Amino acid sequence: MRRALMATLAVLLILSMLVACSQTSTSTPPTSEPEQKTPVEETKAPETSDNNGQTGEEGKVWKIAVMPKLIGIPYFNASEVGALKAGEDLGVDVQYVGPTNADATEQVKMIEDLINQGIDALCVAPNDPAALSPVLQKAKDAGIVVLDWDTPANPDDVVYSINQVDQEEFARLYYDKAVEIAGKDDFKYAILTGGLNAANLNNWIDLGLKYAKEKYPKLELVTERIPTDESQQLAYQKTLELLSAYPDLEVILGYSTPTPLGAAMAVREKNLNDKVVVIGSSTPKDSVQYLEDGSLDAGLLWDPSQLGYLTVFAAKEVLEGRELKDGQEVPNVGKVTVNGKVVVMGPPSIWTVDNAKDYDF
Amino acid sequence: METLKSNIQNNKQLYMLVIIFLALFILMSILSPSKFLTSNNISSMMFQMSELGVLAIGMSIVILTGGINLALSHSSMLAAIIGTLVMQAMVSAGMNPLLTILAGIIVIIAVSLILGAINGFFIAYVGVLPILVTLGTRSVFEGIGLNITKGSALSGYPPEFNFIGNGVFLGIPFPFLIYVAVIIVSTLLIQRTAWGMSVYMIGGNVKATELSGINTKKVLMGVYIICGILCGIAGVIMASRYSSARTDYGSSYVMQAVTAAVLGGTDINGGEGTIIGTVIGVAILQVISSGLNILGVNRNFVDIIIGAILIAVLTIRFFSNINER
Repeated sequence: MRRALMATLAVLLILSMLVACSQTSTSTPPTSEPEQKTPVEETKAPETSDNNGQTGEEGKVWKIAVMPKLIGIPYFNASEVGALKAGEDLGVDVQYVGPTNADATEQVKMIEDLINQGIDALCVAPNDPAALSPVLQKAKDAGIVVLDWDTPANPDDVVYSINQVDQEEFARLYYDKAVEIAGKDDFKYAILTGGLNAANLNNWIDLGLKYAKEKYPKLELVTERIPTDESQQLAYQKTLELLSAYPDLEVILGYSTPTPLGAAMAVREKNLNDKVVVIGSSTPKDSVQYLEDGSLDAGLLWDPSQLGYLTVFAAKEVLEGRELKDGQEVPNVGKVTVNGKVVVMGPPSIWTVDNAKDYDF
Repeated sequence: METLKSNIQNNKQLYMLVIIFLALFILMSILSPSKFLTSNNISSMMFQMSELGVLAIGMSIVILTGGINLALSHSSMLAAIIGTLVMQAMVSAGMNPLLTILAGIIVIIAVSLILGAINGFFIAYVGVLPILVTLGTRSVFEGIGLNITKGSALSGYPPEFNFIGNGVFLGIPFPFLIYVAVIIVSTLLIQRTAWGMSVYMIGGNVKATELSGINTKKVLMGVYIICGILCGIAGVIMASRYSSARTDYGSSYVMQAVTAAVLGGTDINGGEGTIIGTVIGVAILQVISSGLNILGVNRNFVDIIIGAILIAVLTIRFFSNINER
C-alpha cells in the first residue's frame, strides 16, 4: 500500500512537471491570465458593442481557437506562425491546437473540450466534414462562432469558409504548368496523392482530370492515383516503382506536400532530372534543393502562414459584428475574394529555383 | 493459494490505479475548477471514453491470450460502412426508421463478428502470429472500406439513430450506458466463468493448457469473435456519434486501447489482467486528455505525458514484482 502511494506521488510529480514546462512553452501568453468570465456572456457582447478597439473597453480579449488537421508537420507549423502573429497584431488570444494525427474522431473530442474550456470562435480544418458536423452544431449552440479553413466543413456549420485558393484554378494550374514545362500536350503521366481519404486532394485531382479531358485530351494517365500516406519515403518508393514499370513516363503530379519531394528524390536517383517533369504542392524551403538540380520542376502552393493570419483576422471580424467584403484588403495577406460564405485568399504561388529561397516554411 | 496471491497482487495494482485516477481528477479540478469540474465536462468525458472503452475491453481480452488486434478500429469501421449501406437502402425505400436502425445495428455487429472470426481462424487454426494476421486484415479491411466509400464518409441515417451516440438517458450519456453494460457482461464472462479461466490459461501457457484437455483453438476463436462483437458495438456508437462512417475513424484508438489495457495491469504477454483495470486505464487517459485540452496544453505534450505515466507505472510494477518474488 505504501509503495502504491509512493508510486502515485512519483507519477504526479512527473505530471505536474510536464504540465508546468508545457505551459511555459506554448506560445499563447494570455491563457495563463486569470479570466473567469463565462463564455456565453462574452459572445453576446460583440453584437451590441461596435468597438473596433484591440482589446475592448473592459480589457476583454477574444479567445479564438485555430485547429489544424494535425500538428507537427511543416505546412501546419507555418500556418501556426501566421495565426499566432495575427493574434499579436490584432490583440486576440489565439490558441493553435490540434491532434497529433489526422483523425476526425480526435478532433471531435478536442472541440468538445474546447467548448467546455470556453472560447469565442473556433476555426477548424476538418479531417472529415461529416464527422465534425454534430460537434460543430454543438459549438454553435454554445454561442461559439465557427469558421473553417484550409479544408471546407459542411457549409451549414460555418459562418465563413476560408480557402487558400480557388479550387478549380489550382487544379487547372497543375496541368497548365505541366504542359508548359514539358513543352507538349501528349505525354504519359502519373498521379501521386497524400491519401485516398483526403477530400481536398481528391477534389483537386478530380477537377484536374476533368479539365485535362477537355483541354488536353491527348494526355495519358498510366495508372490510377497512387496513395503515399503523406510520407516522403513512400512517395520515393512508389516513384521508383513507377519509373521502372513505365519507362516512357514523362510527368509526375504530386498532391500533398511530402509527395513531390519523394518523387523528386527518386527522379534524381535515376538521373532522369531532364527527362521526367515533377510538379506538385510542396513547401518552398524543402523544395529548394530539388528545384536547384531540376529533379523538381515547379512547386505549387500558397503561403500557409498567410492562411493562418487570414483565418484569425476573419474570426475577429465576425466576433466584432463585421462582414468580410469582396476585394477587401487584409493586412499581411492582400486582397481577398468573398463569395457568400466562401473567402478565397488569392492566386496560388509557384515556387521556382529563383523564388523558393525567399520563403521560410 | 496461487490464485489468492495473484488476487492480492491484482487488488494492489487496482488500488494504485484508482489512486492515480483520483489524484489526476483532483489535480485537474484544482487547475481549472470552473471548467473541468462542470457537469458539461463530466458528461462530455463520459461520451468520449465510451467508444475507446469498448474497444479497449476487446483489446484486453485479446491481450489476455498473449495476442493483439491491430485491425480493431478498421473492423469497427468496415462493419459500420456496410451497416450504413444497408440503412441508406432502407431509408430510401421508405421503411420504418426504428426497423432500419435495428437492422443497421444487427448488420454492423454481425459483420464485425465475421471479421473477428476471420482473424480468429487464421490465428487459432492456421497458427499465424496475431500481430501478423491482424496487420494483414487491417489493410484488407481498410482496402475494402476504401473501395466502397472511395475515401469519403457515408451518412444518411434515420435521425433517431443519432440518439445512440449523442443521446442522454436519465441524465447519463447513452453510449456510457452501453459501455457500462459491456463492462459488466465482459467482467462476468472473463472473470467468473470456466471459459474465462481458460482464456487466462492460454495466455499463461498454451501448451500446458492444451495438455490439460482444453480445446485452445476453440477458445482462441471465441476470443477473437468476442473482440469482433465489441468492435461492432463500438462501430455502432461511432457511426451514430459522428453520424457517418469512414475507413479511418478511430484509427488512433488501436494504440490507445493497448495503452489503456497495459496501464490497467494487463500483461502484454498474456495471462494476467482484469477488465476493471482496463476500465480505470481508459478513465485515466480520458482525464489526462480532457484536462490538458481544457488547460490548452499542446497535444504533443499530452502524448508525452501519457507515455511518461505509462512508463512510470510499468517500471513501478516491474520493481514491485521483483521485490515480492
